[in-house]
Amino acid sequence: MSETKTEKTVHGMMAEFTTVDSLLAACRRIRDAGYTKTDAFTPFPVHGIDKALGIKPTLLPWIALGAGVCGTLIALAMQIWMNSIDYKYIISGKPYISLPAFIPVAFELTILLASFGAFFGMWALNGLPRFSNPLFTDPRFDRATDDRFFLYIDAKDERYDSEGVRKLFGDMGTDYINEVVDDESKKDVPKPIYLIWGLSVAASLVPLLCILTMRVTNSSSPRFHVFFDMDFSPAKDAQMTTSLFSDNRAMRPDVAGTVARGQLPESLDVLTGIDVEALSMTDSNRVERLVRAYLMDDQEAQDAEAATIEDEQSAEAGDESGEAAAETTKPSVMDSTPWIKTNPLTVDRYLLERGQQQFSIYCSTCHGMDGRGNGLVNQRAQSKGFDTWVPPSSMHQETLYGEVYPDGKLYSTISNGIRKMPGYAGQIKVKDRWAIVAYVRALQKSQNASMDLVPDSEKQGVDAAVKAAKAELERQAKEAEEAAKKREEAKKG
Amino acid sequence: MAEHAATTLKPADDPAFSLPSFLSGLQLPLLGGGLVALVVGVALAFTAQDETMPRFGFSAYLTAFLYVTTIVLGCLFFVLIQHLVRAGWSVVVRRVAECFMILVVPLAVFFLPILFSLFFEGRLFVWTDPDFAAEHGISEEIWGNKLKFLNPLFFTARSIFYFAVWIGLAVFYWRTSTTQDETGERAASERMQYWAGPAVMLFALTLSFAAFDWGMSLSPMWFSTMFGVYIFAGGILAAHCLITLFTYVCQKNGAIKDEVTEEHYHDLGKYMFGFVVFWTYIAFSQYMLIWYGNIPEETEWFYVRQHTGFGAMSLLLIFIHWLIPFAGTMSRYFRRRPGWMAFWAAYILVVHFIDIYWVVMPEARRLEHKVYPDFGGVLGVAGSLLCVAGLSALAVGLALRVASGTRLIPVRDPRLRESIEFENF
Repeated sequence: MSETKTEKTVHGMMAEFTTVDSLLAACRRIRDAGYTKTDAFTPFPVHGIDKALGIKPTLLPWIALGAGVCGTLIALAMQIWMNSIDYKYIISGKPYISLPAFIPVAFELTILLASFGAFFGMWALNGLPRFSNPLFTDPRFDRATDDRFFLYIDAKDERYDSEGVRKLFGDMGTDYINEVVDDESKKDVPKPIYLIWGLSVAASLVPLLCILTMRVTNSSSPRFHVFFDMDFSPAKDAQMTTSLFSDNRAMRPDVAGTVARGQLPESLDVLTGIDVEALSMTDSNRVERLVRAYLMDDQEAQDAEAATIEDEQSAEAGDESGEAAAETTKPSVMDSTPWIKTNPLTVDRYLLERGQQQFSIYCSTCHGMDGRGNGLVNQRAQSKGFDTWVPPSSMHQETLYGEVYPDGKLYSTISNGIRKMPGYAGQIKVKDRWAIVAYVRALQKSQNASMDLVPDSEKQGVDAAVKAAKAELERQAKEAEEAAKKREEAKKG
Repeated sequence: MAEHAATTLKPADDPAFSLPSFLSGLQLPLLGGGLVALVVGVALAFTAQDETMPRFGFSAYLTAFLYVTTIVLGCLFFVLIQHLVRAGWSVVVRRVAECFMILVVPLAVFFLPILFSLFFEGRLFVWTDPDFAAEHGISEEIWGNKLKFLNPLFFTARSIFYFAVWIGLAVFYWRTSTTQDETGERAASERMQYWAGPAVMLFALTLSFAAFDWGMSLSPMWFSTMFGVYIFAGGILAAHCLITLFTYVCQKNGAIKDEVTEEHYHDLGKYMFGFVVFWTYIAFSQYMLIWYGNIPEETEWFYVRQHTGFGAMSLLLIFIHWLIPFAGTMSRYFRRRPGWMAFWAAYILVVHFIDIYWVVMPEARRLEHKVYPDFGGVLGVAGSLLCVAGLSALAVGLALRVASGTRLIPVRDPRLRESIEFENF
């Protein structure tokens, strides 16, 4: 750094020009003289000044491009992570990673980050924010925003030499040359700034204090509702009325021609237990009626179908001897119907457990937990000696085995009832009825199973259980015997 | 600015302002060759018509017609928008746009074959086929309502209206601009600016509806409110490319060398870049809304474009119509090099054809489930290419004819000096 007339640090040299032309000419001269750390200040943008000063193209476009590319990648990575890995969520039935849906966000974030890159990149390249500059020490420099043009050579320039620069500027016919020195004005922050700062900090603590006060204070006044209709939403519950619709029902019926989610009917085979395709070969009228009854909600067809089955019931009910006798009369609808032979659902542990549960709820009251037809209702009816009582069938008779009584027929019986038994179509869902069919089959099998069917690993357990059961029965028999003896002795005594 | 204070305007009759003799010599070869190519192309396209593509012939012609029309209308819009915003930079390239803009007059004649197609039931527009609705299970009520708009009489009336508006605008701006060459009247510029506002609105509506009529109604049950903007986006992009390329060719042959500088290429390049993004933005917005909604009547149009060769073309468009020119025109370095900008302009002009082809040709298929469009074999491809080459050659030939009768820049425009001295920051 060169010597100065004063003790102050020299930052550079500035010169004032009155016209754009003289400024541009001066710019070209200092550029040609080899100065690189230069700057020009004008009240308005001047075309070509960067060329005249020899300023290299800025790096800024590359920063903006880089930031933009980062924006794209961040947006895509964020969406893929959020929607496809961290919190998998199907939206509108699209795949987890569906690029078209990600594009708008990627686009926006690209623009945002590119803008940030350009804006803050400009700050960084210009050394902003900067609150003061030694140039401001010269009062004449104020006119750079009005009607004067200034050229500045920084003292950090390798070629800077106070006298040389002063001479160079002097040759350009400038009116005013001045060395830019350190700002000597007071650097202390004005007192009022401290006051304002202190007050701001204090004020910013108020909300926190309010919250803290609330946390430790009891209050009997109710909570203040900022969004009343969000805290107490006008949503309707089931069976409520509303003035919104002309029929005053808050629960809306299905729109005509639509199927609610989960309400799509099963195939006709599953609904009826009948092999409909086979039936269509022999009785197409009935198939048509079934379609109308089960798939089109046609009341008339439902009644007609119910009547057919009811005739059958009463026919069978009229004959006290039941199934076996019914076979001898004319071939009934129940027998001529081509029933499904096997359960249309996949029979697995879950289905059987479901069937067991449903059987226990709906069937066991009459048929008994073991299906022998000795449920609580039957026990009571027998004990009271009702003469109209038709005892429920035992599931463990050969006429009810799968070979002669197909799954479809059993399903139909559960659905429509038989003799005194009412139809359960109204109470039990289609799939649950099929689950019961599967369970009944398992129940039947359990009564005729040989020990060979039990897996080796379970055999010991079964043996132990059987022994324990036998021991228990013997113990009970003994107890009963002893009790009887005691009673006799007591009578005698 | 002040730095260029020494710039002297050349006299209005300077030879640098007239079309180079090489280019004016191309007129007759282009017109003759173009006509032959167009006739042969149409003949080949009609030969390529088959079971799968029963409307190939007229569709190939419509593709060529829409290609040229969208670019010419883009040039008209370029002129309108420069006046609307009182642009100074563009004065030196405006006359080139004007020479192409005035081609809407002969294009009205080239539209006649499209009107002619209305006499052949369902040979271009299926809504002219009286059995269409019945054969495709469309309810009579819906079809009846469609036919209130899509019937030959109303269609013809609308088309005449579009051309009346465009020809009116083009002739007004052409006359005022060329008269100013002689008089140097300042009021002429003000008049053109005054009418630019209403003109742009009329232009937007007519172009949108023309796109609906000539492009969207090919698939009468499909609709997209963005379709007009989509066609506009491609057209205005191609128009900037045409202006760049034509100016470049003129300069290569010695004309307007001092007037159009790298600054103007830089600006045209910015617009090319901008409209590449605009086209992509519109194309994607149209696609995404339909993709997301996933309603059969809307997805059908894209569905057929996802099969056979058109599926590959759809994917390809993303790269050749967006990514490649996007990367190519992004850099200031390339924008300030006229040779590079001319290259990208030529490239995008080719890609614009592929875009229009992709819009029009799949609708030439037999409208039946599981029938997907093809390119019509060697004959079909050759026919389509000859059609567009022929019609483009005719258009360029006519533009050269127009340009040879006038000057290549508006020599007495009050903003001419500003435009010549224009610099980008």
